Amino acid sequence: MAYSDKVLDHYNNPRNVGSLDKNDPNVGTGLVGAPECGDVMKLQIKVNPETGIIEDAKFKTFGCGSAIASSSLATELIKGKTIDEAMQLKNTVIVNELSLPPVKIHCSVLAEDAIKAAIEDYKRKAAVHSTAAQSA
Amino acid sequence: MRDFVLCLMAHVHDCWHCGAKDAASLFCRYCNTIQAPTPDYYEFFDLPRRLALDPEDLKNRYYTLSRLLHPDRYTRRSEQERRFSLEASSILNDAYRVLRDPIQRAEYVLREEGFPVGDQRNKDVPPELLEEVFELNMALDELRSGDLEVLPQLELFRRNFLDMLARIDEGLEELFRRHDAAEGDERRKILAEIRSTLNRRRYISNLVQEVDRQLAARNA
Repeated sequence: MAYSDKVLDHYNNPRNVGSLDKNDPNVGTGLVGAPECGDVMKLQIKVNPETGIIEDAKFKTFGCGSAIASSSLATELIKGKTIDEAMQLKNTVIVNELSLPPVKIHCSVLAEDAIKAAIEDYKRKAAVHSTAAQSA
Repeated sequence: MRDFVLCLMAHVHDCWHCGAKDAASLFCRYCNTIQAPTPDYYEFFDLPRRLALDPEDLKNRYYTLSRLLHPDRYTRRSEQERRFSLEASSILNDAYRVLRDPIQRAEYVLREEGFPVGDQRNKDVPPELLEEVFELNMALDELRSGDLEVLPQLELFRRNFLDMLARIDEGLEELFRRHDAAEGDERRKILAEIRSTLNRRRYISNLVQEVDRQLAARNA
């Protein structure tokens, strides 16, 4: 199956590969996987606690070209957005942008799940942080 | 030796040869003529739909049936009987291959009961396993780029995953027993549990294969 030019572009020049310090209270980490194809995707966001804006996003994905391209694009799409805006991001945006064929749609779903997982992780940490701050 | 074949209960139908009513399964009870074989693996072996099967009993049934159905026995029979013997022998081999393996057996029953196996949308992998899988992939990446220091770590991963598989298999045996004792909705609930366990199992066994492949490529 041939990959679209956009997928190839992200696959060959993935944006924002790498990792952020997962112990940083402002960093949220989302780790998701698809048992069938063996893909595993880690997506991290660094949030400004004052504004709620995602200031940085990094990913590392082990999987097929479409999974790598989907997570690469996902980091681009959410950077500069607030966590509430990022939470609204639908996988269909990724599907359209990358012209993913039906058999690869699950890769975009995985990327959407990774974003949500990262945001939830950040919120969880922020909640713990504020309770800790209050009780201190 | 032929007794259990004669008292087959499932899949009874009229004999195509002598016309006896409800007399035939793989063979006709009256004229012993071979019949059009059932494609259902459990019916073929005249077994109830249980997930826990006695391997010895299954093997005995297989040997008996392969003798009785063998095409060599039908060389001088009608074309119809020769065809049935060929078809039945082929189903017999498929059925035995699938039913004697607990994993393939469970997947067969799940398919027959309308549970899709190997659904890519299924994401039930426990988070702690994902963590491990991610670390494993990092180590494999390092191995590919020539870092041999990760070899002991990979060996450790491999052993961990094999342990997990052993635990999963024990869990499956228990689920099989519960499935066989249950009925209706309860049975379907257990089947759903078996399906997600099998998905997890496949995921982990793919990982073991991947590690083995990379280690073999390293040593080649």
